[in-house]
Amino acid sequence: MTVLRFHRSLYLGTAVDEAVKGFATFAEFELSEEPEHWVVKLTHADVDRERRVAGELGNWALGLSVQKGGAGSEAKARA
Amino acid sequence: MAIDLASGSARVELDESLYPLEAVYGAAYIFIDRCYVLLDRPSAGRLRVTLSPKTGAATEAVLRPLIGELANELLSCAWRYEITKANKTVIEQITTRAIAGAMGPPSLDELEKFDFSSDAFEDPLGIAMSWEDKYKKKKDAP
Repeated sequence: MTVLRFHRSLYLGTAVDEAVKGFATFAEFELSEEPEHWVVKLTHADVDRERRVAGELGNWALGLSVQKGGAGSEAKARA
Repeated sequence: MAIDLASGSARVELDESLYPLEAVYGAAYIFIDRCYVLLDRPSAGRLRVTLSPKTGAATEAVLRPLIGELANELLSCAWRYEITKANKTVIEQITTRAIAGAMGPPSLDELEKFDFSSDAFEDPLGIAMSWEDKYKKKKDAP
């Protein structure tokens, strides 16, 4: 099992959700929240594939967060 | 800066006062086609960028140049960010003018509706008055 922790001040929650939805068919996912992080646990029988999916998921979440203006944009939108 | 051969990744820790988050986003984004990139905040005011090559063996010979490239990109992005921030007003003004210019001249309907009769501003001191009007001789003056 691989655990990815995305810091809330760096990654948009919507971006992480969207990324997980995009990769849902490639591994098993479990989402949870910590005070400072969005936590994604993913599992796949093939360790190499699990590493690849975890890496691509991280890139996807980062790319979406950057394209949507960064993690600060949600706070600005709420204000 | 750290190279972790066991996990096949290179980590760089940054001071956020030197490298703003926007610059870190920009630099990290450049690497997502050839590396797995993960950002984290180990403590307040610090940022951590972790790079793992997507393909090939993650040896020190591969990871060390990645750190160098990342450092260069960070510097470049931080400098671009500063320039953009410094010129923000000018950029906004030019963009507004360009958009206003692209909208074309006002239509006849818009000109018809425009109220030309109203005074542009009050001028109690007569500053906008022409010199001739202001100092012309009065008719009944001797």
